[in-house]
Amino acid sequence: MNHFEGKDAEAHVKEKKADSISTSAEAHGTEIPGHIQAAADALREGTLFLTLFWLLFFVRGMELGQMFFLMSAFAIGLIIWKTGRAAWLGYFRLERLHRVIEQEKYEIEHHRPQEREELIALYRPKGFEGKLLDDVIDVLMKDEDRLLTVMLEEELGLKLEAYEHPLKQAVGAFLGSFLAALILIGFFWIHPLFGTLIAAFLLLTLGASVAAYYEKNKFLNAVVWNIGLAVLSLGIVYFLIK
Amino acid sequence: MNSFEEFFDSGMEESVSPFITQSSKNWGKNLKLKSAGLAALFLSFSFLFSGTFAHLSLLFAYFFAGVPALIAAIENVARFDINIDVLMTLSAFLSILIGSGREGALLLVLFAFSGALEGAVRKKAKSAVSAIKKLTPAKAFVVKKDGTLFEKAVRDIEVGTWIHIKAGEIVPLDGDIVEGSTSLNLIHLTGESAGQTRIVGDSVASGSRNLEGAITIEVMRRMSDSTLQRITDLIIASQEAKPKLERWFDRFSHLYSIVIMSAAVGLALLLPYFFSIPFLGVGASVYRAIAFLIAASPCALVIALPMAYWSAVSACASKGILLKGGAILDALATCKVLATDKTGTLTKGELECLGFLEQEEMRFLSIAYALERNSTHPMANAIVDYAKKRGAPLVSISSFVMHPGYGVEAFFEGKPVFIGNAAFILSKVGQEHEVKIRENLQKIEEEGELSAILAFDQKLCFFRFKDHLRQEIGETIRVLKEECGIKTIMLTGDSQKIAAKTAEASGIETYFSGLSPAEKLHHITEIAAKTPLVMIGDGVNDAPAIARAHVGIAMGKIGSRVAIDASDIVLLNDNFEHLVWLIKKAKKTVAIVRQNLLLAVTAIVLASTLALFGYVPLWAAVIAHEGGTVLVALNAVRLLRR
Repeated sequence: MNHFEGKDAEAHVKEKKADSISTSAEAHGTEIPGHIQAAADALREGTLFLTLFWLLFFVRGMELGQMFFLMSAFAIGLIIWKTGRAAWLGYFRLERLHRVIEQEKYEIEHHRPQEREELIALYRPKGFEGKLLDDVIDVLMKDEDRLLTVMLEEELGLKLEAYEHPLKQAVGAFLGSFLAALILIGFFWIHPLFGTLIAAFLLLTLGASVAAYYEKNKFLNAVVWNIGLAVLSLGIVYFLIK
Repeated sequence: MNSFEEFFDSGMEESVSPFITQSSKNWGKNLKLKSAGLAALFLSFSFLFSGTFAHLSLLFAYFFAGVPALIAAIENVARFDINIDVLMTLSAFLSILIGSGREGALLLVLFAFSGALEGAVRKKAKSAVSAIKKLTPAKAFVVKKDGTLFEKAVRDIEVGTWIHIKAGEIVPLDGDIVEGSTSLNLIHLTGESAGQTRIVGDSVASGSRNLEGAITIEVMRRMSDSTLQRITDLIIASQEAKPKLERWFDRFSHLYSIVIMSAAVGLALLLPYFFSIPFLGVGASVYRAIAFLIAASPCALVIALPMAYWSAVSACASKGILLKGGAILDALATCKVLATDKTGTLTKGELECLGFLEQEEMRFLSIAYALERNSTHPMANAIVDYAKKRGAPLVSISSFVMHPGYGVEAFFEGKPVFIGNAAFILSKVGQEHEVKIRENLQKIEEEGELSAILAFDQKLCFFRFKDHLRQEIGETIRVLKEECGIKTIMLTGDSQKIAAKTAEASGIETYFSGLSPAEKLHHITEIAAKTPLVMIGDGVNDAPAIARAHVGIAMGKIGSRVAIDASDIVLLNDNFEHLVWLIKKAKKTVAIVRQNLLLAVTAIVLASTLALFGYVPLWAAVIAHEGGTVLVALNAVRLLRR
């Protein structure tokens, strides 16, 4: 049986590489450590949602004690959602990755001639030719663990031992959203107007800075873009409800 | 380099996922148990506190225990499998409608714990098939036409290919020897403990260990048709054909669930016509039907039965007996026949040198010691041990030459000296010694023993070897027969003479000798069709029979991974004599399980009837119901005693 489904080995490898980009895609957008990314993401989202709530109540002239209570209740719900969602996204991706590795193992055990062709399609563009190419393919074909590693990494572009456990990501999201709630509501308690705005500014800066540090991006761009986006979002809500 | 073996063997568990970083793998361990513990903690908060905090705690308890139960129940319903899981989950969630969320959560938490406990016990069982894969080499050295060697995946090697096997390696594929000679250890395949000589033209089976010389074989079968693959196929077929260990409780639980759910629906619809009560509202028919459903949920059964098994499993573990699941005790209690392997099970599986057939001479023992200390053959090891025990001094030999599969030769005091099997010695010392050699070998065989011959300076010395019976075998077999009503039969790959000696010494009346793995399986299948039986063994050759028997037991120390994984029970310390204790424990477990069942059903019937007719409020019914649970749990704990 041929698992190329009517395509040649090169077309099959190209298609698999494209598929694997979506399979391995990190749930939160990039490939910095999952728990850090989840924390930075939850910090920024938690800050934005709580500030939006604050804005809604503030513009409508709600009594401060009631605002504090409602924001706290909303914050608890948000923390639980962000925590659970981070875990679920992690598990969702892990399930996809496990499905892929199971399929690849099956192909290695049952479609060996095609796997050999795939290896040739992978290694020929790297400059291996003739006897050297045959020798490389022989070395890879004789060791199934090595072959599976090569197919996962070279053909499918997946990384082994690179993803944090979903529950660790969930803890990151919990800490991020908890920190956002604690600081924002704490600053709100100190000064309902400027306290909240300063806290939102600091938290968004912190979230953007952490992400930029791990991604090795420019701090200034990351911070200004994140704050700009938040101001745009808050501004639209403000003028619409005003 | 990554090894994916553990990951695939575990059924792709997240705690060993190759994608997860090493530092965070521990996060995924024992999640079911952790989740049940968390649910129990929140449930206890909901009982201890009141108001919003209690409601929030209850919500969390439902989240941690209820979501997995709900998924399992929906999957069961989708398969039209209405069982206890469905009944418990339905009751737990419907209880919210009549304001008894805590009682519902209690059902879910107990259910989650029983599931986690069973899961923990079952986890110890690993796949026999994966163990046999570990025995098979993945690569082999292929001999090219120019004589050079290159490594190739065994899976890709075709019939007719020549492969080279070094000393100490496992034979990867079935084939015929085309170059070299050696002795092979076939203990995992046939149960024979002594090395078997193989020369050019002889067949070798995959899975045997090459003890001495390097050989080249021509492959006669591909990996998919090899001896090891055939044994794998036999194991898979045996596991599929194995009588299902579904307890009568499982069958009963399906019927029970359907009856209770149907009765609840019927009561909700019919009660208004008989008792002039409305359909909806407190005390109305729907309320009472739901109360009945909760009270009739088999909480006691769900927690008390696994607890009885878990207690028995723990007691067994403290005696060095590993049970792969508690329900196996049900099957063990019904067994009437014990089928046992010989080598490694009744015997220790290690050759011991008994000394000389005739008068012992220290000089010859010293020569044998000097010759054999360079060899890895099991008989050589036994001679070396014996010589050390007897305090034989080491002498100096020269020009040492090994003849794999036959023996060794050297020079001592300027004269040639030989030690090896009869064929080897005859070829060295001449035909005039043939009669004496044959007579002495016959004497040794009649005693059920094995032999090696030393020839030096026109003198022959015959070494005797024996694989000893384990201690208390005879007594154990007698007690099994007289006190447990279990008849013992022996199945062995060894010769008739050796089998007869062992059977006589251990008090076994029925035995079958010279059996291949397939023949052992055939005998077990025939007996199992007539009467429940337990099979105990240690080798790869026993694995299909162990898997096919109602209950399979493997020796943990000497046993091969394949036999251990195919078995239901492992004697970790190879203590055959513990079988009597184990069988008595199994019978006691079954008795306690039945007592528990009776107690639990009584509690359920009382609580549900009283709740149905409104004689007691729902909370009182649930307390009566849970009281029954505690009672049966305490009864189960008695099994913890060793």
